[in-house]
Amino acid sequence: MKITSIRHVSGFDVARPVSIGMMLGIMLPLVLLPLLSIFVYGFGKGPGVFWSSLVAPEAVFALKLSMVTSFWATAFNVLFGLFAAYVLSRHDFWGRNAVIVTISLPTAIPTAVAGFALLLLWGKYGMIGRYFSENQQIMFTPYAIILANIFVTFPLAFGVIKPVFDTMSRSLEEASATIGATRWQTFWHVTLPSLRGAIVSGALLTFARAVGEFGSTILVSGNLAGRTQTAPLYIFAKFNEGQIEAANAIAIVLALLSFVIFSVLFFARDWLEFAQEA
Amino acid sequence: MIAKMALTPDRDPHVSWAPEREQSSGIAASVRGVSKRFKKSRVLEDISFDVAEGESLVLLGASGSGKTTILRIIAGLEQPDSGRVILHGKDVTDLPARERGVGVIFQAYALFPRMTVEKNIAYGLKIRRRPRKERRETVDRLIKLVQLEQHRKKYPSQLSGGQQQRVAIARTLAYKPQVLLFDEPFGALDAQTRVHLRREIRALLRQVKVPSVFITHDQEEALELGDRIAVLNDGRLEQIGTPDDVYNHPATEFVATFLGAANLLIGVAVGGFVEIGTAKLPAEKETRRFRDGQSVKLVFRPEDVCVSQDANLPEGCRRLTNGVIEEVNFVGAYERLTVRLDLTHRKGDTDALYEVTINTPQRMTGVPIMVTRPKPEANALRYKTGDRVAIGLTSFSVLPNYTLARQR
Repeated sequence: MKITSIRHVSGFDVARPVSIGMMLGIMLPLVLLPLLSIFVYGFGKGPGVFWSSLVAPEAVFALKLSMVTSFWATAFNVLFGLFAAYVLSRHDFWGRNAVIVTISLPTAIPTAVAGFALLLLWGKYGMIGRYFSENQQIMFTPYAIILANIFVTFPLAFGVIKPVFDTMSRSLEEASATIGATRWQTFWHVTLPSLRGAIVSGALLTFARAVGEFGSTILVSGNLAGRTQTAPLYIFAKFNEGQIEAANAIAIVLALLSFVIFSVLFFARDWLEFAQEA
Repeated sequence: MIAKMALTPDRDPHVSWAPEREQSSGIAASVRGVSKRFKKSRVLEDISFDVAEGESLVLLGASGSGKTTILRIIAGLEQPDSGRVILHGKDVTDLPARERGVGVIFQAYALFPRMTVEKNIAYGLKIRRRPRKERRETVDRLIKLVQLEQHRKKYPSQLSGGQQQRVAIARTLAYKPQVLLFDEPFGALDAQTRVHLRREIRALLRQVKVPSVFITHDQEEALELGDRIAVLNDGRLEQIGTPDDVYNHPATEFVATFLGAANLLIGVAVGGFVEIGTAKLPAEKETRRFRDGQSVKLVFRPEDVCVSQDANLPEGCRRLTNGVIEEVNFVGAYERLTVRLDLTHRKGDTDALYEVTINTPQRMTGVPIMVTRPKPEANALRYKTGDRVAIGLTSFSVLPNYTLARQR
């Protein structure tokens, strides 16, 4: 008889349904109902309204812009995160811990502050921006959105890749070296394949976060419809204009995208973790 | 499955996996005066040894004895502070690991997890940009050699420990290594598999004729795997020799006690005898190198003791003294007796008259010695506690007693 199986009530245990019910009762209005309401409201006026809101040129542009800027921010942050993780877990140098903390800092900074800081640096009168001529200005262009996305999602990929680097057995790389491989061959054939899972999940996290970025984007992009308006900004703008259906259609797309990314991360965990074995 | 490969030693008899070269000196690898420190602590001190062509040398030592560091220095994964590493006549001390052509079998095998068995084995040839056809042929032959035909498309995580080890060996053989280095190759396995695998590897090495260096802390493993054994203690090479040499003629107390059980008595060399208290053991040959009156250690193994209830000891057995049976134990394959010797101090002796050492690390100072007898002998003549017996030795070593000067 196991000691842990001691029960306070014999037969039907009331605590079980009560505690499960309580948990769901708390979650319902806070998390589940808000998500549900987007879908209920979005399809409330029929799929036709939903569809026409979705294919409106400004909406399509906003979605596309979000995807493209998030893609480049993700590409940069994954590559840089990989490189930084390699440097920081393979070489010890003075100030290494300070660098690690600095890389992780953007997580803790409010996004509005991040956008504001970028404006101060790159803006027309900013420390760097003042040296750019009028038509070279970066702020209030799609490039500004990429910059903001990079800043805000900077530590995400690094944070996933670095621990895998740290725990990876050095003997794999040593084995590759004794077999005759150069450092580059070892990295390409041995190290990188072992990081596949971490790179994929790092990229998904970064992309998901970048697509939804609002606070910093609204400051640096100028929120110009059809030019620098990303999907979250579109939702905000249309809501302010009272066009609830238009806002709602895009909200549904963004919510679904998050579900998909989250499901991949969640259900592909076995596949992703296989990479970290051995 | 595991055993079958050890029994087919003549498969593929004409293929040697050793590199092609003129057999000049017959020395495959040399370590010359290698020393190494990590931070403040000395790890290796002036280590020198050779590995002959086709030979298997075992570096035996406790953890922290520096044996892994030697292996890493030969492989080029670690740089020595001083000394040279020479592979087939070429000084490779300053070459990086990848240019040395050494095969390392890591403790956990370090197979590439995202490559199949085939790809792991072909890796060395791929890196060397060998033609596809040559790669395929080599992989085919090696997979056959290590009997993994059914597993060639599998990933390392789908293989047993023994199979992984065979892949690791095949992976190094593919590029005809100068020397094979095994880092505690059986450390991760259970006792039974371990015994199987080392026989298997021994058979495989005889077949491929690649000189090998093994690292282990297991004396049984060392005795079985090594053509020669190098015993390391605290960064120093204590003795190097054949298993018979190091076991039966240990050069130091450490070697005597690290390889198997040994009894240790402290005495004095006088006129062709070892005097231990009031006992006198004739040892003319063994004491020749000592001056009269020099303090010595008498080291002998439990199985080299003969016990008799009358004064007639068997032939070849030199009488030491008498004693009383104190304890009788059956330990499976043999019988173990504890015998308390009738030794008394002579006037003026120090208190450390003798010690008994049983399989390290506890050392009891006292009267008893350990004696083992094979089963037939034990069954033919049973002893019981309290029996008085005569004690003689068939074989023993006399070592200088540096104890005080050599406190390490």
